[in-house]
Amino acid sequence: MAITDLPEFIRADGPDKVTGSGRYTADMTLTGQLVAKFKYAEVSHARITNLDVSAARAIPGVFAVLTADDVPDLRYTPVIADRTLFARDVVRFEGEVVAAVAAISAAIAEQAIDAIVFEYEALPIVTDLEAAVADGSTLVHPDLDSYVITGDTPHEGNVATHSSIEMGDAEAAMASADVVISSRYVADASHAAPIEPRAIIAQWEGDKVTIWTSTQVPYDARDGVCETLQLPSNKVRIIVPHLGGGFGGKCGFHFEAHIAALAKAAKRPVKLVFSRWEEFVAPDRRREGMIIDVTTGVMHDGTIVARTGALLLDNGAYSADATFFPQAAAMHVAGPYKIPNIKIDSRLVYTNHQPSGSVRAPTAPQGCWAVESHTDEVAAAISMDPLDFRRKNIVHTGAIGPVGQTYDEIGLDQCLELATKSAGWGNELPDGEALGIAVGWWPSFAASAGAFAKMHGDGKVQLITGANECGTGSVMTLRMIAADELGLDQTDIELVYQDTAAAPVGPGATGSQTLLNHGRAVETASRQIADQLKELAAVHLEANADDIVLSGGMASVAGTPTVSVPIVELAAEAAEGDLLLGSASAPVHDSPELFGSTCLGDQDFASWLAPQFSCHVARVRVDKDTGVARVLQVHTAHDSGTIINPVAAHGQIEGGVLMGIGQALTEGTQYGEDGRQQNAGLLEYKLQTIADAPSIHTQFVEIFTPNAGPKGAKGLAEAPNVATAGAISNAVARATGVRVRQMPMTAERVWDALTTSAREDDS
Amino acid sequence: MTFTIANTLADVLVALAAGARPIAGGTDLVVGARQGKDSLPETLIAIDRVGELRTIEAADDHTRIGSGVTHSMLVSDPLIVEQFTAIADAAALVGSPATRNVGTIGGNVMNGSPAMDTGAPLVVLGAEAELSTTAGSRRVSLDELWVSPGRTSAQTDELCTALVLPNPPDGAGSAYVRLEYRRAMEIAVVGAAAAVTLDGDVITAVRIALTAVAPTILELADLSGLSGRAVDESFFAAVASAASEQAAPISDLRASDRYRRHTIGVMARRATEAAVRRAQGEVIDVPVNRALGVGAAS
Ligand SMILES: Cc1cc2nc3c(=O)[nH]c(=O)nc-3n(C[C@H](O)[C@H](O)[C@H](O)COP(=O)(O)OP(=O)(O)OC[C@H]3O[C@@H](n4cnc5c(N)ncnc54)[C@H](O)[C@@H]3O)c2cc1C
Repeated sequence: MAITDLPEFIRADGPDKVTGSGRYTADMTLTGQLVAKFKYAEVSHARITNLDVSAARAIPGVFAVLTADDVPDLRYTPVIADRTLFARDVVRFEGEVVAAVAAISAAIAEQAIDAIVFEYEALPIVTDLEAAVADGSTLVHPDLDSYVITGDTPHEGNVATHSSIEMGDAEAAMASADVVISSRYVADASHAAPIEPRAIIAQWEGDKVTIWTSTQVPYDARDGVCETLQLPSNKVRIIVPHLGGGFGGKCGFHFEAHIAALAKAAKRPVKLVFSRWEEFVAPDRRREGMIIDVTTGVMHDGTIVARTGALLLDNGAYSADATFFPQAAAMHVAGPYKIPNIKIDSRLVYTNHQPSGSVRAPTAPQGCWAVESHTDEVAAAISMDPLDFRRKNIVHTGAIGPVGQTYDEIGLDQCLELATKSAGWGNELPDGEALGIAVGWWPSFAASAGAFAKMHGDGKVQLITGANECGTGSVMTLRMIAADELGLDQTDIELVYQDTAAAPVGPGATGSQTLLNHGRAVETASRQIADQLKELAAVHLEANADDIVLSGGMASVAGTPTVSVPIVELAAEAAEGDLLLGSASAPVHDSPELFGSTCLGDQDFASWLAPQFSCHVARVRVDKDTGVARVLQVHTAHDSGTIINPVAAHGQIEGGVLMGIGQALTEGTQYGEDGRQQNAGLLEYKLQTIADAPSIHTQFVEIFTPNAGPKGAKGLAEAPNVATAGAISNAVARATGVRVRQMPMTAERVWDALTTSAREDDS
Repeated sequence: MTFTIANTLADVLVALAAGARPIAGGTDLVVGARQGKDSLPETLIAIDRVGELRTIEAADDHTRIGSGVTHSMLVSDPLIVEQFTAIADAAALVGSPATRNVGTIGGNVMNGSPAMDTGAPLVVLGAEAELSTTAGSRRVSLDELWVSPGRTSAQTDELCTALVLPNPPDGAGSAYVRLEYRRAMEIAVVGAAAAVTLDGDVITAVRIALTAVAPTILELADLSGLSGRAVDESFFAAVASAASEQAAPISDLRASDRYRRHTIGVMARRATEAAVRRAQGEVIDVPVNRALGVGAAS
């Protein structure tokens, strides 16, 4: 049910952004504003022995210096309350904020930072995931048991959460398998790396604070400020100017409370702008490192009979939103396969690294990379073509997945066929080149989201939404939905967004939810106005309201377009009477039922509403003398339900593929012996550039999906980031004959694998 | 801090005599200051509008590349592309279009980084740096000029006014390749330039220099044994092993010393192969990295 008659996509925020006239948070200046700077721990684990800010406070031009003593004494975070705004007694990672300064200039703020006396006694650091879970390890949070922890969150020692997925009898089934293959894969941590380092400005008026901030999730930011500074929700207003990308890095609540507290203490507006280094080390949202052990039992005919897995995920020093990661990662290591017997154990492990948090499809690129690489290894072990092996085992409509969920109509099998055909699977390629396949999946998340709509007397519309535009274009798509309901042009619709004081609550730009949740609210709110318009038109046209259609700016009788009245006339009439107002919230669907599986530490991430499926096929060339791999082509096919906005949908796939290539080949955090990041900058943290972009060929398998977003759409922003690295891994292996078991699969790692295998061949 | 824009070479030299630092494209100087490497100098004299520094002049036996010539100009200059091809190969790889449009060859050379891309090509093509003060000019070999990472032997009042190169003989060809992990905004992991002269199938001269495997650009020594040999596989193998042996690489975030030592051999071989093909009259588009698929291949 593709929508074909919608006008070409118009990006309302586009001209602002491409001409440079758009204003981002860092561009703003308020009268009297001060400059904020943070004092960071810059040590991975230490007990504070002396923190003295008196000299800093005494510097002329310094208006406020805050530490843990100056804010409410409480721990926060969504599930495990392990975090404080400012370090208290112990610092647990290098980017932990020890103190904050507000001063009249950057130079004076810097001087004040230098004047802070911060003395500590170094503690042993925890960085190795296996050592962290071994007996006798130093504990990152010795008092974990005393924290407030909600939900089904088994924890012990350095394990913040332990989740499992279990169905059937994996052990017995494994024993009966013809062939059993085990693999270990290790993924390095990586970063969201949005191009805009975050910025925040806070200003108080009486007991109310307005905070302009580069967040993806204004309501989470608001709630974080309210929780940590103990303020009622109607006293805190979050406004998000244009956002320069997020990729998950700007999800959650970060530094808004620090700046609000500084502004209050200084009695002036205060502004923070991060440097690139800060953007790398301070936020508690980066992609987690992972160790993945996976074993599959298979029959000679290609049937998978069992899978077991043990996963360790690097939580970093605090939990942020990562408590669902173990279960999410387990789902990706299970993969979209019909596996009757499964047991995957997955643990989120505290270390003295930067905290992990949701970055675009959290856990999926690593999990999918590992399991899809493993899948090719399993297929090879029984001499089966990787495509045929997947054909035999992937989930299809009506199949039971690895946690006992039965899938409604889904299109993974079509994705597999389309992407492999587009790539020319089976065709001969030049030496050093190969194709690799990966399939992936990702859930849709239903959450509360509201919208207001109003049509003014001149027929123009304002949509007031809590959605947040992080660059995906999905907020812009909301105009298309309203225009479609109201029979207007997109340009008649103006968005009011990214202001918590104006719009009803919603999840913001997280979890591919904009269209799914905000979109449904907008659709319903617009429809309420459409219904009012139809009632008015019915009187004019002496017809039944049910027979009125709104299209092209006219209300007309169905089948008789000449019997019509301009919508603007109806709007003018309503402006004198019953106003045209809509307000709606999207219903929260229940998750599908699971049969036959048990999940320890259930974080609601095993049952997937409206799952999205994808297949990516990468064509890669490897320079075998140097190990440099270059992705030449990526062929993708996605089942994300109905595609409402094709231009934006292709954009999401292209961006996701490029991000996936970076993770696969060049992007990884390098740590020093001291546990600190060594490549916290854009010179040594190698993002892909546009010159590296392969040609990307995308097809959509459009299946109307009930219980999903408007018009049967699912999400799409994270899905393209799932399968790219896995496809590249398999292509590299087929091109070189060797497996690279650590991600990113850098040139040196590819070369290492090649030379190791050459040495083994020699001996 | 003062920032003055010079219009003539004389203005620049007077300013340097008075203690100013020259700034050309600023792509090293300003970026370095922003990253906190060195703070910005107290007095800056901008030299990017001095026309005398922005010309490429061919004489009978030598060619003079003004220090203010940008990487973009080098890549689009037919003389450089045809006669001094390795320099064009290198200039084409620098940073991004924006970096190439403002970054200069003089800045590249005087910044003295062991990872500079035009350095190895200039060495194998026999370039000398022309250093000028209000009192006059002198020429120094690049070997003398580069002292250690980020340091040159030039005095603070000396401006590099040009790079002066002997015109290559008939039968000469040159090439520069570098190992890179991505195709823009990259720094050489390692790189190699080669200049060869052929008489029929026989090598009559060969020079090879390496990027990012020593504190300064490293010219391979003891290559005389390679002259007089025929172009064959053993010649290229000898080049590769000489490069790997003589390199003194470090381990850093970009690569281990082991990997650098291996790949520098690969780069030296590929540069030499491309230089030989060019010497034989074949046209290989600039840069060789893209034309032949080296490093982050085409
Ligand atoms: C994004 C980016 C990518 C880059 N990529 C590469 C790359 O791929 N390869 C590479 O080699 N480099 C690269 N660089 C470094 C830089 O662009 C080059 O070295 C460039 O050639 C420097 O020239 P400039 O004119 O900008 O030098 P400037 O920054 O103006 O000057 C550099 C130094 O040389 C001195 N100086 C400049 N001109 C003279 C002169 N005529 N006489 C005496 N001293 C002088 C200055 O005082 C300063 O100390 C990159 C830089 C950036 C920012």
